[in-house]
Amino acid sequence: MTFEISYEQRMLVDTVRGFIKDELTPLEEMIEQTGALPDDTARAVFKKSSALGLYGMNIPEEFGGGGLSCLDQMMVEEQFGHTTDILIRRAFGNVYEVLLSCTGAQVDRWLTPAVKGERVCSIAFTEPGAGSDAAGIKTKAVRKGDKWVLSGMKHYISDGSFSDFFVVTAVTDPSKGHRGISMFLVDKGMPGFSLGRDQAMMGIRGTSHLDLHFDEVELTDDHLLGTEGEGLKLALSVLGRVRLAQVAARAIGKSTKILQMTLDHARDRHQFGQSLGDFQMVQQMLADSAIEINAARAALWDCAAQLDAGQDVRTKISALKVQGAETLGRVVDRAVQIYGGMGFSKDLPIERYYRDARIYRIFDGASEVHRSVIAKTMLKGSTSVFDPWSA
Amino acid sequence: MKVLVPVKRVIDYNVKVRVKADGSGVDLANVKMSMNPFDEIAVEEAIRLKEAGKADEIVVVSIGVKQAQETLRTALAMGADRAILVVAADDVHTDIEPLAVAKILKAVIDAEAPGLVIAGKQAIDNDMNATGQMLAALTGWSQATFASEVGIDGDHAVVTREVDGGLQTIKVKLPAIITADLRLNEPRYASLPNIMKAKKKPLDEKTAADYGVDVTPRLTVVKTSEPPVRQAGIKVGSVDELVAKLKEAGAL
Ligand SMILES: Cc1cc2nc3c(=O)[nH]c(=O)nc-3n(C[C@H](O)[C@H](O)[C@H](O)COP(=O)(O)OP(=O)(O)OC[C@H]3O[C@@H](n4cnc5c(N)ncnc54)[C@H](O)[C@@H]3O)c2cc1C
Ligand SMILES: Cc1cc2nc3c(=O)[nH]c(=O)nc-3n(C[C@H](O)[C@H](O)[C@H](O)COP(=O)(O)OP(=O)(O)OC[C@H]3O[C@@H](n4cnc5c(N)ncnc54)[C@H](O)[C@@H]3O)c2cc1C
Repeated sequence: MTFEISYEQRMLVDTVRGFIKDELTPLEEMIEQTGALPDDTARAVFKKSSALGLYGMNIPEEFGGGGLSCLDQMMVEEQFGHTTDILIRRAFGNVYEVLLSCTGAQVDRWLTPAVKGERVCSIAFTEPGAGSDAAGIKTKAVRKGDKWVLSGMKHYISDGSFSDFFVVTAVTDPSKGHRGISMFLVDKGMPGFSLGRDQAMMGIRGTSHLDLHFDEVELTDDHLLGTEGEGLKLALSVLGRVRLAQVAARAIGKSTKILQMTLDHARDRHQFGQSLGDFQMVQQMLADSAIEINAARAALWDCAAQLDAGQDVRTKISALKVQGAETLGRVVDRAVQIYGGMGFSKDLPIERYYRDARIYRIFDGASEVHRSVIAKTMLKGSTSVFDPWSA
Repeated sequence: MKVLVPVKRVIDYNVKVRVKADGSGVDLANVKMSMNPFDEIAVEEAIRLKEAGKADEIVVVSIGVKQAQETLRTALAMGADRAILVVAADDVHTDIEPLAVAKILKAVIDAEAPGLVIAGKQAIDNDMNATGQMLAALTGWSQATFASEVGIDGDHAVVTREVDGGLQTIKVKLPAIITADLRLNEPRYASLPNIMKAKKKPLDEKTAADYGVDVTPRLTVVKTSEPPVRQAGIKVGSVDELVAKLKEAGAL
């Protein structure tokens, strides 16, 4: 029972890494300075990556995607972690698997264009009064004849200014709690739908984080994604893989890249007549980072392989969300420490990596929320997350 | 026209090379191996000729250990049509010398009858820069080494060569041997669809014995050593001191 990296996987990773190094990394500093990726540069990046088949690799081939298995997808997502959020979005696409629930006319209107990169999509769940508690939303969609009328607001919606449409959660039956929430596909420009401010953030500069306002936006049944009342159930069933990819795998990739840089610095920088790497306390930091990255990746591959085999890995995904995000937090903190003053200075990207890393422990479910999920599952008697022999 | 491209599996150019403790060579255990960068350029040039309608089939050949089939798969994923693996060693540390490689390639040419061979100008592991030239001698074909531009003009190739004094353009009759220099092109990445297609492309496996070539090394490696570590410099206070120090060191 070993994970042997196949030559296809290696070639794919080589292509993705090479593309990031040559085409994306050189843009990072400009985006950090100006706060934005110019549209024409974004288009040029997309053109090159989609010509290589690198856009929407997670989506099955029958819908025009790359058709990667979950394990292969995690391997490339890890590489995505070597660059920034906005560049990943433009080059490789955040084509959410929730769109695979599109049926009938929805496929041509939303799914296919999203996979082809002709239309870009954001997820809009969070509201000022409902973050971790996704069922606590106030946005509502009310039945009016054969239409739905959507009212409310969302905030922190990543990539909102660039996106063409949004997957929006709304209460459709207030009497049913989390079973009364549905998902809607809402196009930018629909009457009553307006974009609010772009919330400035600590890191991940270049990606916008928008407020969205819905003022009696009229929607037909065509806009309802999945079954009425099953919005949160659907979200839970597909967002797990997104978390594994966009948080765990990318965090592991970021940690790997940062540790590589830190190693080079520890080797090259001399103080007290020796290299930093000669100090045992520095050695401990380097070794701990390697140990944690190695453990997180092994857990990721195991979880992804199980997902490919159709097993229920929800608890493991929660565990990996925490493990990936917190590994990154520690690895990047050690990097700043080993770089010393240079790690704190804006002349090097280390301080940017430090700021960008912080959100990983918060979005897609805060560490505490996932820890609660893990503990509650175990307390209920399901202990396979730490004891495979018990399943 | 069929184009033959020999590709070698070498230590990846990003790897920090370590000399084996006994000085017998470079440590290749658990080290990333890749296609020789000049061979990647050669494969790219062949693909461009095919895309331009000047070539219709690209056959890649690798001679070495069995793992060289990964190198061939990479070439197939870039766009080559067919691959031939000639197993000539069991141990990754065995380097097949240029003359043996050229003899095997000659035998492959006899069987395949390509109209053009594009090789890398040298392999980055041993920097021999000899295989292409030896192959030209064995086949009696024209050679155009260190190519920075290649054009096909009827039954001739027009090749711009990077020579010491600048650029030289020569016209050689086909079939010919061309060796690729760094500035010939920028190799493409293997695209996801092509990586998946590469799996299904034919890869023939042969051995050096199939071609009747004896690959026993003729050269003996006496010693391999790290480049000397650069000595720390000193700061001087004045031009006079500089001159004095240079004289002291026997440099003036
Ligand atoms: C940069 C960025 C991008 C984002 N992108 C999107 C997006 O594209 N789409 C979208 O819908 N949302 C997005 N969000 C919102 C994000 O998902 C929420 O911020 C996240 O879910 C946390 O919600 P909150 O901020 O309201 O924090 P709160 O829910 O107020 O939680 C604050 C803290 O309270 C603690 N806590 C909360 N609940 C529990 C619990 N049950 N048990 C223990 N402790 C708990 C945790 O420590 C948590 O960190 C984004 C946010 C940011 C900052
Ligand atoms: C915001 C800021 C303000 C500053 N202000 C001033 C100022 O006003 N005046 C001034 O003179 N300087 C100032 N500095 C410089 C500051 O004092 C140095 O950055 C600090 O002394 C660390 O030195 P260094 O950056 O060269 O890191 P290095 O000496 O290269 O150390 C890097 C890391 O190596 C490790 N390390 C180094 N030595 C050892 C050892 N012996 N044993 C174990 N581990 C070791 C530690 O992890 C350390 O963090 C400032 C720096 C910053 C970032």
